[in-house]
Parts: sequence; C-alpha cells; structure tokens
Amino acid sequence: MLPTSQQTIGPFFPKGFFGPADHDLTRMSADAAPTTQGEAVIVRGTVTRAGGVPCVNAILEMWQADAQGRFNADPAFLGWGRTFTDAEGRYAFRTVIPGGFTDDTGTRAPHANITVMGAGLMRRVLTTVFFPGVDTAADPVMASVPTALRPLLVAEKTRREAGLRAFRFDIRLRGENETPFFDL
Amino acid sequence: MSEAPWPPGIEPVVPVPGYPNTWTHTPARAPFTRVPGATEHAAPAALHRKLPAGEANLAEVVKGKPAIGQLMEISGRILDEAGRPVPGAVVELWQANAAGRYAHAIDTSAAPLDPHFEGHGRVLTDADGRYAFFTVKPGAYPVPVQETWWRPPHLHFSVFGPSCLSRLVTQMYFPGDPLNAIDRILQAIPDEAARSRMVARMLPPASVGSVHLGFAHDIVLRGRYATPEG
Repeated sequence: MLPTSQQTIGPFFPKGFFGPADHDLTRMSADAAPTTQGEAVIVRGTVTRAGGVPCVNAILEMWQADAQGRFNADPAFLGWGRTFTDAEGRYAFRTVIPGGFTDDTGTRAPHANITVMGAGLMRRVLTTVFFPGVDTAADPVMASVPTALRPLLVAEKTRREAGLRAFRFDIRLRGENETPFFDL
Repeated sequence: MSEAPWPPGIEPVVPVPGYPNTWTHTPARAPFTRVPGATEHAAPAALHRKLPAGEANLAEVVKGKPAIGQLMEISGRILDEAGRPVPGAVVELWQANAAGRYAHAIDTSAAPLDPHFEGHGRVLTDADGRYAFFTVKPGAYPVPVQETWWRPPHLHFSVFGPSCLSRLVTQMYFPGDPLNAIDRILQAIPDEAARSRMVARMLPPASVGSVHLGFAHDIVLRGRYATPEG
C-alpha cells in the first residue's frame, strides 16, 4: 500500500491537546515523577520564518535517547515531548542531556531530533540538535551537513534557569542562517 | 522495520501558488540526506501515557448539549505500507465547526462559534488498527489571502506510528465536494490517486441508520513493521 500524503498541520492545532507536562521529556506524564538519571536541562529558542518573523502556534516535537543513550529503557523517562510557540515564536522543552550511542549508522554524538509543523509548512521538517562542548566529529548525521552549516545544529549555552543549565536553539525555517533539515 | 523513501507524486509540491505562507515558511534549501538510525526508527513506546485517549464523541461532549451540525461518524483503520493494522496508535482529530469556524483564539473569522463544539479528540487504535470518532461535518471556510480561496470541509488527522519516520499529519476530505478540485492544499499533491486516497468514502446511509451519516477512511503510515512495538 502507498503511504497517505502529508498535509499542513495548519494554524489551528488545538491548545486542548496539550497537557501541563507535554514539553517535559523527563517524565512519562504530568502526574509521574521525572527520571532520576541524567542532568536535567532546558532547551529553548524561537521558530522564525523568512525575514526572521516569529511563527505563532508552530508545533514542535522533540525525541531523544535517555542519559545512557538508550530508547524506551528507563521506565521513568519518555524521551518525547511536544509544545507550541507563543506569540513571539518562543518554545521551551525540559529534558536531560542524552547519552551517545552506536547504531548501524555509526557512533552518534548526544543529540535530540526536533520536528516542526505549522501553517505554511506543507510537510513537517526535521532537524537534529547537538550540545556545545560535545565532540560531534564522528557523528554521521553531523557529517552529512557541510562544515560551514554545522554550527547551526549546535545549541548555545545560556544562563542557568532555576538551577538548571539552559541552552538556546533557534529554528529558522527559511532565509538567513536557515536551519539544516533532514530527509523524512 | 524499514521506511522506504516517499514514492513520487505523494508528497506535496512546495511552495504552493496562492498559499502565501508556504513561500515564507518552506525551507529554501533541500533537506540533507542521511541514513536513518536508531533515533529515527524508534518512537516512544509509552506515548499513550503523555497523550492519553480522550474524547471520541466530539458532537456531544456534555450529555444533553449536542453540537449543531450534520451528525456523522468517521471510522477506519491505521495501516502500514504492508497493509498490516497498527494497533495502539495515537490518533488525534481536530476540525472546524459546522459553520467553518475553529474553537481556537487564532481563528478570527466572522463565522459563529458553537458553545457545544470544541472540535478535537484523541483515541488509540484497537487490535485491528481501528479508530472512530463521532462528530459533526465541518463547514467550508475562506482563507484570508488576497486571491479568494475556500477550504473544502476537511478533518485534520495527527497519527503516531511505531517509528518517528512514520509520524503523519494529514487532512481528510469529503467525497463529491466541488471545493476539493480547487483547494490549494489538497491539489498540492501531484498524484491524482494519492489525492483520492485522502477523500473519505461515504457508507451507504441505509446501512448506517437514521441518526447520523457514516464515512470510512483508512490512513497508511510509512514503513513496514513485522511485529508491533512496545
């Protein structure tokens, strides 16, 4: 069978779909305790379109391995979160610094995948965020991007928030310093 | 599991003429090709804990307070490319009300809100990959762009499959609506057969009964999955 086509998520993805901890990858649900493994951090940024104009109600989904570089292994860690951008295009996730791992593609540096959907995006886009100070030289996904663009995939350290290290990762859908995206 | 590249003609062609936002939001650079690895092939096994099944009856969320509109049931199956059902898939549906207005602060159209219609629900597929929602048929609405353009009645679907690459957000259309042929979003799909697969099938009214209309719509996710995950 052939897959069903993608269509834009549009501007009206309901606020009612969001629970209070949906942006928090470190816990299974709002009423569950967060994982005790790994360093909890904040990843925040803005989503902008051509001209640096903020995107409102863009929907972001973040997915990553746990602090040991495993998927679906820590029963307290979901590793998935969803949020939407506010009127200024801002988003934020709470997560842990993921562990690196080795798979069929090679040795993966610690990373998270972020997919973005929104009005005007007929297909979702998918990018990968790495963390500063982490060696990505051997990472096969980083290697698929031209050297000059690689810094665009590395989050920037910002000031701590409520005792947690925080990182900034801006997603520019189109135009100057456009974020590198990957095939779906 | 494996996800073949999208076959030709199925993905929308972007940017879309007459849909100005696609010219400012679509990346100018082509996506980079990399071999999908563990991150792409995996997906959260316990997603239903964060996205629990909720309302399947959008037409009467509060008993005795029905929404206004043409009552209908939409049902079908979530399948993989091998035609196997995807059990336990999270399926989200949202839509405009019968007047073509979304219950969303961003929708500032002049069409009336229906105090009894929020227009969104979430279910999990059963062992046969089946989902069903009871709702009202959405109305058409104009898109606020310079060249007049009306969206045909449609339902939005968000589906989570067994891998991150099978994640799908799509829309479903109604058979026989004259706006389908001139909808810039539906017509952005080049392949006619692919477009027709986004149009639901009306069930014979005599078999559905005298309370509501019935529509059937299957959604096929990318990938072939030998065994269900999680």
